[in-house]
Amino acid sequence: MAAKKETKAGKKHEHKGLDTYETETTREIEERTLQVAKNIVDQIKRGTSPTFTTKVRGLSNVYFDEEKKYIQLGDKQVTRPFLNLGAARKFMQTMLVNDKCNEYLKEGKTASIREIYYELKRTVANTKENTFEGQNESDEVIVDVEHAVNTIREKLGLHAEAKGSLYGDITLKDRKHDNDIFNCNSLGRGGWSIMSRIEPEEIEIVDVNADMVLVIETAAMYNRLIEEKYARQHNAILIGTSGQAARGARRLVHRLRYEYDLPVIVFTDGDPYGWYIYSVIKSGSMALAAHSKYMAVPDAKYVGMTLTDVETYGLQNVTERMKDGDVKRAKELMNYDWFKSKEWQSELKLAIDKKIRIEQQALANKSLDFVARKYLPEKIEKEIFL
Amino acid sequence: MAEKVLEKKETPRKEVEAEQLFTEFKEHSVADFFKKNKQMLGLSGKQRTMTTIIHELVTNSLDACEEAGILPEIEVSISELGSEYYEISVVDNGPGIPEDKLASAMGKLLAGTKFHRLVQTRGQQGIGVSGIILLSQMTTGKPTKLISGTNKGKTVSMEISIDSKTNTPKVSDKHYLENKFKGLAIKCKFKDIVYKKGQSSVDEYLRRTAIANPHLTLKFQDPNGEATKYTRTVNKLPSIPTAVKPHPRGVTVDEMLTYARHAQARKVNSFLTTTFDRFGQTSVDSVSQLAHFDLNKDPRSLSWEEAEDLIKAIKQTKFIAPSTDNLVPIGEDQIKKSLKAIVEPEFLAVVTRKPTVYQGGYAFQIEAGVAYGGKAGRLISVEKTSGKEVITEEVRSSEIIRYANKAPLLFDAGGCAITKTAESVDWKRYGVNNFDTSPITVLVNLISVHIPYTSAGKSAVSDDTDIVAEIKLALMDVSRKVGIYIIEKKREEEKKEKKKVFAKYAPYVVDALVHTTGEKNKELLLKNLSNMVLEKLKMEEAGIKAPEDEVIEDDSVAEEEFEE
Repeated sequence: MAAKKETKAGKKHEHKGLDTYETETTREIEERTLQVAKNIVDQIKRGTSPTFTTKVRGLSNVYFDEEKKYIQLGDKQVTRPFLNLGAARKFMQTMLVNDKCNEYLKEGKTASIREIYYELKRTVANTKENTFEGQNESDEVIVDVEHAVNTIREKLGLHAEAKGSLYGDITLKDRKHDNDIFNCNSLGRGGWSIMSRIEPEEIEIVDVNADMVLVIETAAMYNRLIEEKYARQHNAILIGTSGQAARGARRLVHRLRYEYDLPVIVFTDGDPYGWYIYSVIKSGSMALAAHSKYMAVPDAKYVGMTLTDVETYGLQNVTERMKDGDVKRAKELMNYDWFKSKEWQSELKLAIDKKIRIEQQALANKSLDFVARKYLPEKIEKEIFL
Repeated sequence: MAEKVLEKKETPRKEVEAEQLFTEFKEHSVADFFKKNKQMLGLSGKQRTMTTIIHELVTNSLDACEEAGILPEIEVSISELGSEYYEISVVDNGPGIPEDKLASAMGKLLAGTKFHRLVQTRGQQGIGVSGIILLSQMTTGKPTKLISGTNKGKTVSMEISIDSKTNTPKVSDKHYLENKFKGLAIKCKFKDIVYKKGQSSVDEYLRRTAIANPHLTLKFQDPNGEATKYTRTVNKLPSIPTAVKPHPRGVTVDEMLTYARHAQARKVNSFLTTTFDRFGQTSVDSVSQLAHFDLNKDPRSLSWEEAEDLIKAIKQTKFIAPSTDNLVPIGEDQIKKSLKAIVEPEFLAVVTRKPTVYQGGYAFQIEAGVAYGGKAGRLISVEKTSGKEVITEEVRSSEIIRYANKAPLLFDAGGCAITKTAESVDWKRYGVNNFDTSPITVLVNLISVHIPYTSAGKSAVSDDTDIVAEIKLALMDVSRKVGIYIIEKKREEEKKEKKKVFAKYAPYVVDALVHTTGEKNKELLLKNLSNMVLEKLKMEEAGIKAPEDEVIEDDSVAEEEFEE
């Protein structure tokens, strides 16, 4: 076990223990990256064309698991040979990233994905090209390595920038920073900045005193709810994602749901972009389909905004017009298996027909505190979820 | 009419035309004459006029040299005297013109300028040197300077102008030169013309003239003082086209009447056999049966209707195809030599097709060449954006060089059957993926006693089915040969390119692997990888596909998820 409970459990919520996901040691992952390289060395020594095998990602190898209710990655594999004109460059890049990750693990270092890009970027001898032309190239290869050694990047010593904020009566311990212990309702109005890696060996959840987790798309709405003291009055933990939820925020939501059994409620703008944020929290994403098990929260609820709200709360004059791209995206969503419920289909159809969208902050049209005083309490109390 | 390989005596039509033109010329002012016939004389447009002047002078020199059996050496120079004001000088090493005939040969409009010549081959516009002298006089009011030296006597220098009322030359400043000189030098000034570079420039005209005349040494000095020299690659003169009578099949009613009016024969039937090629007694019998009048009448009294009747009868009569042995191509070897020297391509193929006959009943012959790579094609400037900067790059693009009887056609390219046919070739089949942007020079020379031009401007060939078909066959023939070369070359390049791709990444792969695994034998890894690359390329060449050649499955994530 990577983490041991050091303090008492939360009043209401017992800690449920960790999944095997977190039980792999750094040594094990280091060994796997070494094995990838060893296999290729053997191939070259034997005189067989060297190849690197990873999993196919993207729509062709992603499916919606009806039983588990989240997106899963299939078993399709792709073999990337060095001796193929179209693949040679990527093969080279993969070896560089695999080697660098192996080095990080060996030496106990971590780097951001931007740092590894800069660390590996150099001019290819006698050419005008670089080993990596942009971070997008190294990012892609990182995903390949993740899949090849069957882990997540955080385990490879890589992390992304912090994104998203946490507020509420939850006590954390930062094991990578002098074992600081802090409660997220006493860090001021901004709350805690969610790290990209919130695995137990880095961030330990010491204590949780809440009835629900409210995931909020916009920072402005997150701030509004803090200012209105919504968290305290309704015993909620607020997670502001600032747009699409990053891995750290998703892992945190997942841990709160499964380690502390808190219900998760999602609150976004009423448009295809916002709905997809909800979808990612609930069912996982295609890019991280392999890790849905540790990310997806299939019983997450959606509180709003919905186009029904427009009628219910008289918000007709504060809707926005959907752009062509939004309409197209809405049509795509209609085709996803996890949007096939009657309610979602009719909501999406309404959006496509009316071509309107509604922002969270449009609720301010009623009054600034309307969202905290009336909208959320009423909808959550009566369980008016979509 | 100039391109007709017709002996003067046998072409009364030309005389008539000259007479008519001259009458017209006397009636109107000189300026009017040129203005009225601008299109036909090649004097429409300032650049075109410049090219026409050069064409007339160079052609005159070339013809003179060839008839005298002298390997031509011509020097052209242009200097700018002011805005749209130039002095042009052409010096040849030809036979020269005897002093007593010099003025009348050069200074009598449309009469006797080609007295020393039997046939005319290249002439395109037929304005002649005298026309050029007149144009000079008309635009500048200045006389033209001539220097002539023959093997006998002294070198004479004079200035001449043309009295437009009497069509006679006026000589001034006549004197003798001490310097020994053989040939003809002409120097005249022009206004309202312009010199500029490009596809229709004098430079291009001369380059193409040099290509079509490998026996010519040509020097050119442009107004900026830049000198170009084309040295002959062949030391043999081309044979001179022999005179030929018109074939009956190609004659129009109008032409029939013109010939008849100047006939020497007393009767229509003897007029037919003496005037036309392949018109024997059998043909006369057939025509006389078909015609609705007596062929014993005087040809000079032939009416329009009778001429029409004759043409109709001729159409229904069988004739032997016109003789083709009078056509003189440049020759495959000759074109090859000059293309190699002037275009400097990597590879070239040339064909001279057998002569054949087109619908009008005229013999014609096609020569075609394709030069590829190296300095083939023409340089053009292309603007490219590199980041925020716009840079001008010089790249090679294709060019189509057209000739009618070895004379370069520089204008109306779009409307010309040669251009259209060259562009209609399926170049992709021959390894040329984008014809327009490839380093290719396509050459087509159409040789005929009668070139079917699209218009009086005589700058483009019309779409005659037979001619188009022959051009196409010729181009396909040479393109196939060039195509084999191009495809082979591309294969070689691809192979090299592939090897390079693997070679540049291999050290990075090996370094990373050695670093990860601590493998000691780095050299072995490098050696094995490089051997595998060579092996793979060999297999590819043999057409054996390795498993790694299979298309790699697309594994891109379709969704934009805004994830870090």
